[in-house]
Amino acid sequence: MGADGDVIAMSHIAKRFDELVAIHDASLTVRAGEIHALVGENGAGKTTLMNILYGLLPRDRGDIHLRGEPVQFVGPAQAIAAGIGMVHQHFKLAPSFTVAENIILGAEPLKSLDRIDRTKAEQETAELGRRFGLGLDPRSIVGALPVGLRQRVEILKALYRDAEIMILDEPTAVLTPQETRELFTTMRRLAEHGRSIIFITHKLREVIAVSDRISVMRHGRIISTEPNQGVTAHHLASLMVGRSVLLRVHKTKADPSEDRLLSVERLTAIGDRDETAVDGVSFFVRAGEIVGLAGVQGNGQDELVQCIAGMRRPVSGRVGICGAVTEHADPRARRAAGLAYIPADRERVGLSLTSQAWENLTVGHLPEFSRGVALMANAARRRAGELIRRFDVRGARESTLAGSLSGGNQQKVQLARELTRQARVVIAEQPSRGVDIGAIEAIHRVLVEMRESGRAVFVISADLDELFSLTDRILVMYRGRIVADLVADKTDVEAVGRLMGGLHEDVEASPEFESGERKGHVH
Amino acid sequence: MSTEALPALRRRASAVMAALFRPLLSPAVAVVIAIAVGAILVAVVGQNPIYVYAILVEGGLVGWPNLSVALQLTTPLIFTGLAVALSFRAGLWNIGAEGQMLMGALAAGILGYAVSLPAPLHIPLCVTAAFLGGALWAAVPALLRVYLSVNELVVCLMMNPIALLLTGYVSARALKAPGPTNKLPDIHDTAILPNFSLFSQLNAGIFIALVACGVVTFMNSATVRGFEWKILGLNPRFAYYGGIDVGRNALAVFLVSGGIAGLAGAEQVLGVYKAYYDNFSPGYGFDGIAVAMLAKNSPIGVIFAAFLFGAMNAGSVVLQMMTGVSKYLVQVLQFIIVLVLAAQFSFSWLARRTPPDR
Amino acid sequence: MDSDLAYSAIRISTPLIYAALGGLLTYQAGILNIALDGFMIVAAFAAIAVAYATESLTLGVIGGCISAIVLAALLAVFNLRLRANIFIAGIAVTFLAYGLTALLLKGVLGQEGVFSSDRIPTFPPLRIPVIADLPIVGPPLSGHTLLVYLAYLLVPVVAFFLYRTRWGLRVRVVGEAEDAASAAGINIFAIKFETMLLSGLFCGLAGAYLSLGYVSLFAKQMTNERGLIALAAIFFAKGNPYWTAAVALLFGTATALSVRLPEVTGLAPQLLELIPYVVTLLTLVAVGVRKTRTRSRHGAWRFEL
Repeated sequence: MGADGDVIAMSHIAKRFDELVAIHDASLTVRAGEIHALVGENGAGKTTLMNILYGLLPRDRGDIHLRGEPVQFVGPAQAIAAGIGMVHQHFKLAPSFTVAENIILGAEPLKSLDRIDRTKAEQETAELGRRFGLGLDPRSIVGALPVGLRQRVEILKALYRDAEIMILDEPTAVLTPQETRELFTTMRRLAEHGRSIIFITHKLREVIAVSDRISVMRHGRIISTEPNQGVTAHHLASLMVGRSVLLRVHKTKADPSEDRLLSVERLTAIGDRDETAVDGVSFFVRAGEIVGLAGVQGNGQDELVQCIAGMRRPVSGRVGICGAVTEHADPRARRAAGLAYIPADRERVGLSLTSQAWENLTVGHLPEFSRGVALMANAARRRAGELIRRFDVRGARESTLAGSLSGGNQQKVQLARELTRQARVVIAEQPSRGVDIGAIEAIHRVLVEMRESGRAVFVISADLDELFSLTDRILVMYRGRIVADLVADKTDVEAVGRLMGGLHEDVEASPEFESGERKGHVH
Repeated sequence: MSTEALPALRRRASAVMAALFRPLLSPAVAVVIAIAVGAILVAVVGQNPIYVYAILVEGGLVGWPNLSVALQLTTPLIFTGLAVALSFRAGLWNIGAEGQMLMGALAAGILGYAVSLPAPLHIPLCVTAAFLGGALWAAVPALLRVYLSVNELVVCLMMNPIALLLTGYVSARALKAPGPTNKLPDIHDTAILPNFSLFSQLNAGIFIALVACGVVTFMNSATVRGFEWKILGLNPRFAYYGGIDVGRNALAVFLVSGGIAGLAGAEQVLGVYKAYYDNFSPGYGFDGIAVAMLAKNSPIGVIFAAFLFGAMNAGSVVLQMMTGVSKYLVQVLQFIIVLVLAAQFSFSWLARRTPPDR
Repeated sequence: MDSDLAYSAIRISTPLIYAALGGLLTYQAGILNIALDGFMIVAAFAAIAVAYATESLTLGVIGGCISAIVLAALLAVFNLRLRANIFIAGIAVTFLAYGLTALLLKGVLGQEGVFSSDRIPTFPPLRIPVIADLPIVGPPLSGHTLLVYLAYLLVPVVAFFLYRTRWGLRVRVVGEAEDAASAAGINIFAIKFETMLLSGLFCGLAGAYLSLGYVSLFAKQMTNERGLIALAAIFFAKGNPYWTAAVALLFGTATALSVRLPEVTGLAPQLLELIPYVVTLLTLVAVGVRKTRTRSRHGAWRFEL
């Protein structure tokens, strides 16, 4: 043990990627048996700092001491051997393999001839699950498990390697409130067993609910570490952003017309894992309103949007855009009908990072710049320059590669391209993901402008604060269905949160559901 | 203000320099490495590398007789290199130029002798038929790729021996000209592309090749299709999302690419051999891959890369006659260049997208 | 059909099975190795050159394997360390190998297109005691050379390592979910490198068999796209060793038929030689149809590589 019970002491860590400084100067200590929350906005450097601790990234400066000994991990294997485990935000599991195979991977129990001792693997897996209250069938195939159980596999993987320090990176992002509560119980149990937990998140309520100490990270620096006593969410929030947050867009009351520009009728679609991802969904968005879609990640929102955008073929049901109702159309036809779509996945879908800004701004506008077979490249470049100025894309010129822009500016490129089309339906998917606060405000303002100009705006977000500040109506999606259609002013975060967790069927029956652990498993 | 502006200015200046020289740097490095490795191989075979390279250069470049052979051998490589470059730029792996060229050549060869027309009609007819023949052959991997997602590399490579066997059957069996040689009957004079060198079969086909490069340059930079193909190559998912008809464009790229490869066959039959000869190609289609890589998919670059390889091929014939070194030395050099370029290719791509992992 | 045909099908399938075993290991580790032909041709050349120089078959086979492993290491370094695209690098390595063997054929053995010599010993046929005497199955199964039996025996060995051992589990996880493997501390580079070297080893055996066992000569580009045919078998069998070997045996039978049919039918040899290629192509079509069917069920975007 270290001098004062610290198992980990990271001091003055710095890390840069080319031009971008990810971590300026971060120092962090973690004690044995504590739950240490690391909070900060997207892009504050939390994950980078943890990847450095876990040996996934080399550091440029600074020292790491583990139980008082200086360490320098090259690759996660060394970190694992030293007793550090990490549960990543995106699970690192092999879907077609069994729970046991995933857990033992990298530390396989062996028989002679390098053979895997399957019996032992399954026994140990089951035993470990029992000890920490994380029941799982060692033989089930990981890809078929629900998200919450897959996270258990990740945690068991770390425990199997005897991790004394566990890093949980945004573990609740994909969980329902029930699953989140169960996770917190597990975390407490692990801490009681003497394990230290570093809990990365940006959800302040959770931090206050579960952690012993809280470190706040901002712009690559740890700016405070304090015990979780008398700390308020408001205080943490102002530390995180460096000023009081007011994520409220100034907007007037919506005045939608009866014109249903976007309509979805009994849409059903199958997801990539052959599950029914969208299950008979119907809704509409009228001209002049912003409708939000809330839901825990993985409840069918992605597939629903893909179907509307024409990038996934639904099994049944119809999508109407500005009156053009079709069963299936490709993105080309949807766009022609009047759809503008800002996808969440900028890197792979919404932009070509290895193309120049003007090229990214011209795709989707090709008819405007073609004369017969010829492309009016100069006109396209000129207009790109105008858009860059108008949408305040910082650091970009027409010829700048999209990949060299920051997340917020990439988002502005997408907005500039999509919102300048003659499209009356606007779909914005996670519009503020990976975007700094300043840019979020600009983005929200633009979306409200779209509403004012009589367009139908549909916003999909995992961030309830964003939905409440931006939208007029909120739809809640749970397990492929739309379970509620609420007026934003007449509901609150708690109610939507319950619906996202699938508690709608219990709400009426038992108002005191919060206390019941097992309730809420509706299906 | 000024203290900040100065390094920025310097950075911009060095960026401009890099932009000017970087496109030429990696091909140059690759060529130098290939020459060095080739020298070792020559020494292993027991010859003097300097002497061998001197003969290679002289045989490829010095004097009009050698130069005209080099230009003759450059012509098919422009076509095949252009064909491959066009598809690579669009992110499609048409490496079946060899088979497409054979089918184009066969089409030109058959129409060249079977049809009688005045020259102003006969030559265009044969050239068009060659284009269609190549496009037809490219349609197989294209359709499989677009509609069934079958890896086009494997299909393209399979189509090459199939083309060789089919053309072999036609020229050595079905339509064989009388005599000991496996060939079709000679084409009519009206179908012959005029030759303008006493020392080689250098013919008007080289102008068709240059025009083709010009057309593709224009397409790449000034047409909607060319723009769409570039986006398709850089990020097909984005292209699809943005309303570009990915399947139809991919088909079009394959067909045009195959057609251009087919033109190489027309040039060989109408300009060089004046008949379809079984198994005439020493692998122009495969060299086209190397040409496209060296040219970094630029149609103008293809001209220079094809000339480099054409001269090397011309020199290699002299080399084989004058020394004990096999002409395949040149093939080794060419694909070392490809291998080295492949490595750098991805290096620059990686450098551009180092993930600022948050 | 008749036992001669079955005998030659087993013989002809041998190099395909070696190549397919080599290819499926990298396939399982997530690398589509299109350089199998290149590995084979250098092995075929090195095997016959060493056997000619030493008059030893053992040394010839070892020489063939080593040369193919060296080439595999080259490809692995370019792909894994220098981040060269596997397709481009694979094609480059293959044509490099074709050119190099032709260069050395002239430079070292002094021949232009084909090399053979009676100094090169041949493999003795092995009579398998009990099996040889069985009716019907005896004659086709007995009397092959050692390398033929080794190919078929290696199929269960490869299956064992792939599905029973720690190494095999790691190979398969690397192929399916690289991030899962690296998070578990598995050295992905090492795993991929090992499968590539083994690919070289198996293709080395294939090449050595081609020039020393199947025939006793070396010819330019004598592998005749066997590597690609093996790849088609791997695609069709989704990398399962038993099924891959079975498909390879099917391709071998098609080839055996094409070799024997001219006598029977009098058809042009060029057309009959097409049979293995066309069968391979049809197999690829079948793979595509199967893939498209599973995909259209959930209807995700279809333009994936």
